[in-house]
Amino acid sequence: MEVVDARAALAPAISLVCAALVFASADNTFWRRFFSIAAALAKLVIVMSMLPGSLRGVVYTFNLVEFTEGVGLAFRADALGMFFSVVSSTLWLVTTIYAIGYMEREPNRRRFFGFFALCVSTTVGVAFAENLLTMFLFYESLTICTYPLVIHDETPEAMKAGRKYLIYTLTGGAFVLLGSIVTYQLAGTMTLSQPGILPLAAGRTTLTMLFVALIAGFGVKAAIMPLHGWLPSAMVAPTPVSALLHAVAVVKVGAFGILRTIYNIFGVALLRELGVCTWLAGLAAFTILAASVVAIFQDNLKRRLAFSTISQLSYIVLGASLLTPLAATAAIVHIANQAFAKITMFFVAGSIQRTTGKTTVHELAGIGFRMPYTMAAFTVAALSFIGVPLLAGFVTKWYLSLGALEAGEWWYALVMLASALLNAAYWLPVVYTAFFKTEPTAEVEVHEAHWTMLGPTLVCAVFVIFLGATVSVPGMPFALASAAVKFVFGM
Amino acid sequence: MTPWPPLLALLIVVPLTGAVITPVVGRTRAVRSADWSLGVMLATSVIALVLVVQVARVGPFSYVVGGWVAPYGIELRFDEFGAVIAVICLLGTLAMVFSRRYAAQAMAEQRIPYYYALLLLNLTGMIGFAVTGDLFNLFVFMEILSLSGYALVAVSGEKIAEMAAFKYLVMGAISSLVILLAIGILYALTGSLNMADVTGRLAGAPAAPLAVAFGALTLGFMVKAAAFPLHIWLPDAHAIAPSPVSAILSGLVVKVGIIGMLRVYQIAYGSGAVDMRALNHVLMWLGALSIVMGAFFAVFQDDIKMMLAYSTISNIGYIIMGLGLASSYGMIGASVHVFNHAIIKATLFLGAGALIFQTGKRTLTDLAGVGHAMPWTVAAISVGAISIVGIPPTAGFVCKWYIALGAVQAGHPFFAFALVFGALFIFIYYIRMVNAFYFRQPRDPAILEVTEAPASMLVPVLILASLCLIMGVMGSLPLSFIEPAVQRLLLPLGGG
Amino acid sequence: METEATRSLLPLAAFLLPLAGAVLTLPLRKISARVRDITLLALTALCASVAVWLAAHVAGGEVYETYLLQLTPDIWMYLRVDALGALFGATVAVLWMLALVYSWGYMAEGHRLGRYYSFFMLSLAWTMGVAYSGNLLTFLIFYELFSILTYPLVVHEQTPEAMAAGTKYIIYILVGGSLVLLAIVLTYFAAGDQTLTTGGILSADIGQQRLFAIFWCYIAGFGVKAALVPLHGWVPDAHPAAPAPFSAVLSGVMVAAGSFGIMRVLFQVFGVELLREMGVMSMVTILAGFTVLFAAVLAVNQDNLKRRLAYSTISQMAYVVLGVSLLGSDSTIGAIIHVTNHAFMKGGLFLCAGLFIRRLGVHRVSQLDGAAKRMPVTAAGFAIAALGMIGTPPLSGFVSKWYLGLGMLETGNPLLLVVLLGGALLAAIYLLPIVYRMYFREPVLTADDKVTTEGREAPASMLVPLVIVTLLTIALGLGASLPGMPVSLARMAAETFFH
Repeated sequence: MEVVDARAALAPAISLVCAALVFASADNTFWRRFFSIAAALAKLVIVMSMLPGSLRGVVYTFNLVEFTEGVGLAFRADALGMFFSVVSSTLWLVTTIYAIGYMEREPNRRRFFGFFALCVSTTVGVAFAENLLTMFLFYESLTICTYPLVIHDETPEAMKAGRKYLIYTLTGGAFVLLGSIVTYQLAGTMTLSQPGILPLAAGRTTLTMLFVALIAGFGVKAAIMPLHGWLPSAMVAPTPVSALLHAVAVVKVGAFGILRTIYNIFGVALLRELGVCTWLAGLAAFTILAASVVAIFQDNLKRRLAFSTISQLSYIVLGASLLTPLAATAAIVHIANQAFAKITMFFVAGSIQRTTGKTTVHELAGIGFRMPYTMAAFTVAALSFIGVPLLAGFVTKWYLSLGALEAGEWWYALVMLASALLNAAYWLPVVYTAFFKTEPTAEVEVHEAHWTMLGPTLVCAVFVIFLGATVSVPGMPFALASAAVKFVFGM
Repeated sequence: MTPWPPLLALLIVVPLTGAVITPVVGRTRAVRSADWSLGVMLATSVIALVLVVQVARVGPFSYVVGGWVAPYGIELRFDEFGAVIAVICLLGTLAMVFSRRYAAQAMAEQRIPYYYALLLLNLTGMIGFAVTGDLFNLFVFMEILSLSGYALVAVSGEKIAEMAAFKYLVMGAISSLVILLAIGILYALTGSLNMADVTGRLAGAPAAPLAVAFGALTLGFMVKAAAFPLHIWLPDAHAIAPSPVSAILSGLVVKVGIIGMLRVYQIAYGSGAVDMRALNHVLMWLGALSIVMGAFFAVFQDDIKMMLAYSTISNIGYIIMGLGLASSYGMIGASVHVFNHAIIKATLFLGAGALIFQTGKRTLTDLAGVGHAMPWTVAAISVGAISIVGIPPTAGFVCKWYIALGAVQAGHPFFAFALVFGALFIFIYYIRMVNAFYFRQPRDPAILEVTEAPASMLVPVLILASLCLIMGVMGSLPLSFIEPAVQRLLLPLGGG
Repeated sequence: METEATRSLLPLAAFLLPLAGAVLTLPLRKISARVRDITLLALTALCASVAVWLAAHVAGGEVYETYLLQLTPDIWMYLRVDALGALFGATVAVLWMLALVYSWGYMAEGHRLGRYYSFFMLSLAWTMGVAYSGNLLTFLIFYELFSILTYPLVVHEQTPEAMAAGTKYIIYILVGGSLVLLAIVLTYFAAGDQTLTTGGILSADIGQQRLFAIFWCYIAGFGVKAALVPLHGWVPDAHPAAPAPFSAVLSGVMVAAGSFGIMRVLFQVFGVELLREMGVMSMVTILAGFTVLFAAVLAVNQDNLKRRLAYSTISQMAYVVLGVSLLGSDSTIGAIIHVTNHAFMKGGLFLCAGLFIRRLGVHRVSQLDGAAKRMPVTAAGFAIAALGMIGTPPLSGFVSKWYLGLGMLETGNPLLLVVLLGGALLAAIYLLPIVYRMYFREPVLTADDKVTTEGREAPASMLVPLVIVTLLTIALGLGASLPGMPVSLARMAAETFFH
């Protein structure tokens, strides 16, 4: 059932308004904080207010502007989009609170919070995009809005990372644009509301090229190897940005784009016919393992997180490219699972950096006694990545393995296991160093981060547990993922 | 319902007369000439607005001056492509406003009335060029705007400006001659100078002279449009001219080549006598080359205006490619980009002008950190930069989208590729600009003490910047406006 | 003969009580160490009584179940107490309670004590979960959790050896856990989510190859925890490194959890008939038999007492797998009760080893000369447990070996008696010399020991658990045939497996 409802457009718009207000609030700290948090709350309320309907199967649509017939800015909150936006708006709220604490003494806070809000606006825009054009529009805007955040520190290193980031993501964007154009030409429409719009009659070669273009385009942000180069360097950004980049906005938008490409543009049936997804799955599996191996050798905590992200994102890609319902479920729920666990870790990394100034793993000896709650949250996230049951990561691993079997490609189940072990190999040493190695200085005193940073960290860690422990977490509906899968597979 | 017919004539007469009177008005006090020319431009704008609304409602119409019918009389013809006059008037008006403070600083006071007169003359030439239905008049208006253009480049009176103007003059004169030659051939073949008439009579004309004529027309207009490698006159001229003039030159005057090409197409397709395929191919490649090379040269510029000048070459490349694709999407995209690019480039040049005016610096290195001192101006420039790269939802994106779509439609996906990635290239240097303004440490801390530009400069820039956004969000408006004209144009090809 | 399950919250209570203890540990310490200790003991005692109560009622023919959480739309976290689980659960809870009391004396007050107690309680909670799991996924969840969360206990001393042992432990356990996960995923894919009640949920239809893959994944996965050679590498390092009370439970029940998993899987996932059809069990038999002898031979050469005991554990646990692999009902009974019996015997031995370390500062067998004179009660406990381990009647170890031997004959493998007796003989070789040294050698005094050779016996809080464990070893042997004893539960379980 489709309902025309302005809320589908209001959700992205509210952060836009927030951004404007933040910019307008000059350097008044109070109003900046007020607007940031108020908008985050308002957005969460809006998205959540659509949730009950969405769970009943209602799809909210809203056409904003029409360029020409069938081409325009239109929003459509279907199950998949709702899932993504629920995750991103929840995380926006916590990240905003965290950022307020983290950025306490940083310069250029107005710019930071303004663009921060813009990023989320565009992310929800991508989630709710009704057609490829709208999606591209927000996809590109996101790239631009993130740039000032990446180079926030304005150091030469940051500038270099920013340049790299832009070159990668804009090239990706160009491929997406190219793909959109060809899609429109072939299908005569760009809507994302169908389970596949392209006809097989368009020719195998053309379709394969198109698939490659779109996947390459979205794959840059989703950091599929070898398109991942920007991500580790973008780690120079302030931590809330890294959290936003790696958990919520940028990388997830890429992964989300791949999901849309596979499920809504090509459609499962067509892709099975084309057989291109085999290659994508292979690439994703390679990324999962290779990035993990690289991560083991990173001493800088944030860099390690970056490579872990690269690895984790390919779970989503792998799940999507296996083209089976169970694997698809894994791909979709992993959007949330990875987001919460990864953001927890970033929060922790940021808290440590702010509180103690430490950035590398080997410096963390004994930090577990200094910041017990923070490191406990980190441990929960780490265990989740390893895929310990009752935590979020396990759900993905479980469904993905089942999906691989369902597709008759059992070796991907082995990839899952190998990845779990590799995850253990680079996360457990951190936990180990933190809790079981003693600090050089004997004096150990509990010194946690400010509550604005600790609170969000713990909230996210609790979510990691909730997501793994039960399907009925309020506001984190597994049912939405199932609904999306059912739609895509015509079940 | 057609409008009061002489309105079309007034469109030319008003600014032309205004231009002639300007020096007289400004003889005692230079500032009066500014008021006067602004008034003239406003009046012209009103006329233009009425006409554009008219053409949107009833389609093309014409007015025969003095009642003499073709082929003997002078016919003024107003169609959708002619609606570019709306942009001409808009930019003209804003440039007039902008010049009030700018001119006072950039040139000696006694030159100011002549500056305004030349500006008006230049605009008149362009308006005339856009609405004339007669080949010879086309040439005449072209010369008016070219000559006034040369003078405007040199108006500051500096040595370097004269050099640039001279280069511009030489190239301009050669191209004018080539075009004149082509017009001569066409006249010899058909015995008429009226475009509609020529179109009608071309059928059955010998192929060789026709090919020479159309080749010559294309070559001439490509020089005017500054397609690579015929662009060599442009960077110096545009960079050295006073900023409002740069805005006009870059935003509008190069478009004369494009509008000329559109007229050539009208004749060629309308008559069905000329096979444009080979020429189209040349145009496509020329466009692709311009996009890439323009961007390539721009990357190495440190002078902000030089950079903008090279970016014009890239963007003209878009349009030329769109024309060469000869598919409906490509044509629509190209035509709309004539409007949109004018707005975008004017935003950038006027913004850059405001920066130069306030800081006295014009290289990116020196301007580092200016974003903190002049937030509104730099924000406007940033919007323009985003727009010219074609990031949605700005004006530039709409055209990029359509031209790329046109490339696929015409069966040349490679050009879509070139276009999309060329745009990426363009981004590289714009990001340098934005970086310098916002994110680099100022070389000279004094730049942070600079104040925001005066209202007479800031307001035009902001209006243009918001238009960049509006034209993107309301992208369907110009598209649907121009669509019937393109359909008509491509009708002989089977509707495109 | 399926009994209708009764819905009950008791299985949940058995799991939640220690969990509550884990959470309360830190806040209670703020009040006082004494309050914490008493509360934890109360909770554990409650948990143990619930477990024993459940075992008693299950022996009376009841089955209890609890639906816990809906993990995914089609998978519930589900607890179910049947005969096998009830016995294991009761063993776990009782041994844990005793180890907790022992810890009071053993663990010196320090800042890491909070961590120790909370993870100690956590491990109990997860292990209870393992015992009571009603389906594979629930099993997996608890199994993984307790495997990983015992890591802090293994490395508790934080000496370089402990850290190295911990790393080894976690690597082995994670690889094993991954294999188990893979196997469970494959099972789930082939058969769906089924409760562990019937005599097998897999069918031969899914193809021989896949069945073999699943089978070996399970065996290898659980084999790591059950310390089957060659997957035993972590055991000899982890035991000496860990604190003694934890070594006791580690050896007593945690290694057994692997064997428990193998039992669950073989009888309730594959089912006896399918296994016979597949004909793979003989390979497991060989593997287990080899482990029994090989580990025992290695044990003989160890001078470090706890290390020797660790190898003994490897050897003894292989008996369980051996008994199971024969697919005979008597041998299965023997295997099941051996889990319980071994838990208390080996628990007792480790408690003694801990006392020697704490009271005498002795780690090595060669330093134990004359220990019996100084710590008579401890030495007696050690001697009894050692005799039980060798299989001397009427101690509990004898009962399990008796059933195992019966099973070997029943299934027509008399040759395996050689393994059984050989293992016993080797146990005698590696344990009796210790007893001999304690009782019949004169103490060698170190410098600070010169003053006195007497009065080194442990405090009551450490002796009481040891005495109870020893009494249990005797009682389980003497009263083996009484109703309500482990044998009756094991028989019930075996009957369901073999119909």
